Amino acid sequence: MAAASGSHSAHSAHGSSRPHDSLTEAAHAVHGSGAPVVAPADALDDLLYPPAPRPHRPGRKRSFTMVAQHREIEIVKGVKFDAWTYNGTVPGPILRVTEDDLLSVRFVNSTEHPHSIHFHGIHPADMDGVLEPVDPGQEFLYEFRARPAGVHPYHCHVPPLREHIQRGLYGALIVDPKEPRKPAQELVMVMNGFDTDKDGENNFYTVNGIAFFYAKYPIKVKRSQTVRIYLINMTEFDAVNSFHLHADFFRYQENGHPQNPWRHTDNVAQIQAERGVIEIDFAEPGMHMFHAHQTEFIELGWTGFFDVQDA
Amino acid sequence: MESTTLAREPRPDPGAPAGKRRRLGGRFWALLPLVLLTLILGVFSAVDAKVFGLIGDNPPAPDELSFGAVQFKDDGIFVRVTNPQTEPLTIASVTVDGAIALFEVDGSPTMDRLDRRTIEIPFAWNAGEPYEIGVTSSTGVESVTSVAAAVPFEGIHPSGILGFALIGLLVGVIPVALGLMWLPGLRTLSQTALVGFMALTAGLLTFLALDALFEAFEQQALLPGALGGTGLILLGVAISFIGVAAFSDWLRGRERGSAGSATSPVAQLSAVPSGTALATAIAVGIGLHNLGEGLAIGTSFALGELALGSLLIVGFTVHNITEGLGIAVPLADATPTKTTLGRLAALALIAGLPAVAGAWIGGFVYSNLLATLFFAIAAGAAAQVVYEVSRLIGARSPGGWTSPVVGGGFLAGIAIMYVTSLIAG
Repeated sequence: MAAASGSHSAHSAHGSSRPHDSLTEAAHAVHGSGAPVVAPADALDDLLYPPAPRPHRPGRKRSFTMVAQHREIEIVKGVKFDAWTYNGTVPGPILRVTEDDLLSVRFVNSTEHPHSIHFHGIHPADMDGVLEPVDPGQEFLYEFRARPAGVHPYHCHVPPLREHIQRGLYGALIVDPKEPRKPAQELVMVMNGFDTDKDGENNFYTVNGIAFFYAKYPIKVKRSQTVRIYLINMTEFDAVNSFHLHADFFRYQENGHPQNPWRHTDNVAQIQAERGVIEIDFAEPGMHMFHAHQTEFIELGWTGFFDVQDA
Repeated sequence: MESTTLAREPRPDPGAPAGKRRRLGGRFWALLPLVLLTLILGVFSAVDAKVFGLIGDNPPAPDELSFGAVQFKDDGIFVRVTNPQTEPLTIASVTVDGAIALFEVDGSPTMDRLDRRTIEIPFAWNAGEPYEIGVTSSTGVESVTSVAAAVPFEGIHPSGILGFALIGLLVGVIPVALGLMWLPGLRTLSQTALVGFMALTAGLLTFLALDALFEAFEQQALLPGALGGTGLILLGVAISFIGVAAFSDWLRGRERGSAGSATSPVAQLSAVPSGTALATAIAVGIGLHNLGEGLAIGTSFALGELALGSLLIVGFTVHNITEGLGIAVPLADATPTKTTLGRLAALALIAGLPAVAGAWIGGFVYSNLLATLFFAIAAGAAAQVVYEVSRLIGARSPGGWTSPVVGGGFLAGIAIMYVTSLIAG
């Protein structure tokens, strides 16, 4: 943004012409098709599109396997990061169950550090992933009734907590309510940051793990159907992250809990582990930008577009 | 090669067969340690990982790079970087004021040890404002450099050449020329008073030597470790010390040869420098110092760190008038020698013009490495002329350093430099 709209006093100061095409190119590098991303267009599909919801059927067992793995990931073109992951990605996989399902997660630790999974929500205290760290090579079975309805983060809770989280051990758990939500085009966005040189500050910010990804590959949505975003903030080091939509408004429900009221806005802020459900009924087709309304985060990777199509 | 023989008995005739064998033996013993060293290093580099493994994990490279000039041009910001690490380093991402920016590298983004690259960042910068440039390696390590104020990079252009030249003349040539105008006054002084002024000159030059050495260390601290530390400075000091000594020997020889019997009595003391030769040597030493001073002014201006206020220029000018005095003293000592105006002008130019060259170099093609070397050379040259002046003082004042005139003069020289340097800040 600075590159595109910066003042031109330097230019006028010595009266020579500045080739603007290179600045336009710079704008594209931050906001568009030229974004420094090497991953293919479908690289984040599994982290963006949640599995379909299932009808309410109390006691149904839903089994998942989560493996803690240390892995090198590429956050922005050319920059590698030694990530600690659930199932190889940062954020970890989307877990989706319905309220009153029996959530059964087999957790395998194939790293050199102890890890755990701490789910936000209601469950027995010994299923909380805090006092039961899982040693390297060991495994643990988390089993509890999924509640309350909404969207919740899960993350490792082994000290030093700051390191275990900033290295990537977190993800999204969707618990669908008894009364199904109306059909929508559903997306999951986990906002995060990466401190690649361990100086206690994030070098890059992303949604779902790759900086500028949705700037390079806009998310295609249809104008005829509501767009529903399960939004979670797992950013370490910064107190707040945020989501701002261009050229439209949306409704926002804290935690996605059905009893929470909806409010109307174009900008929401979340502290770490705060989450909610966003619903957008796009008024107009076209490219709608979305990004953190902390401009620093935008230009370090947290920006993207909805490509709203009339269909 | 004979000198390397280990034998203690008297050396036999090298022509004799036994001597020949011994000489071959000498070569063998001279080369053996080097051959063994090569072998051992070869074996070590083949198994080094295993040796480090005995200690523990070899930590990864720190992957920080070092920055050279940052130039603000019409089409963006140009940043020179060097890889000071022992391992290759890859430029992966670039930020301007903490925002990721498009960039191009003039060559492969992977740099071997000491490789240099220029990173071109299309960016609409604002003149006069501070900027912070970050370069992140492929391993995620970010190195940051900051620029106090963006100054449009004009390249080498006529008005810049003229501007830097005028500043160089003002802080270099003019004060030295003014200082030389004390010469007639100095000629009226008694021998004792003149020795006092020689000591004052020694004080001035000692200050300059130390000042230059300190600057050299400051510049060296900005260099990546791989480019050498104290060795680089010591080498510069030694080369210029020996070089100026050889130069003043040559001058002395020439002076004696051409002037014949008309040479001043002091010069005939052969070993002791004096008169025009010493004045020229001092002018060269001061000139090398002014080269460094010009370099500092030009660089600070180019980096936007220096507001070239008139007080600063006044400070340097006042400070440097003392340098003219330093050159005039040995001339006054050689009273019988007529000093022509042409010779005086030449001395003023030798001592002052390098400030112009320094301002050009600093303003247009600055590098920390050059600055380190220049200041080291200035320190060595100043130290050499201090040595020569001390010898002259020794010859002229048997009382030496303990005599009030010499001691007082020396301290006064340092005090004058200190006080006038405060004006320059």
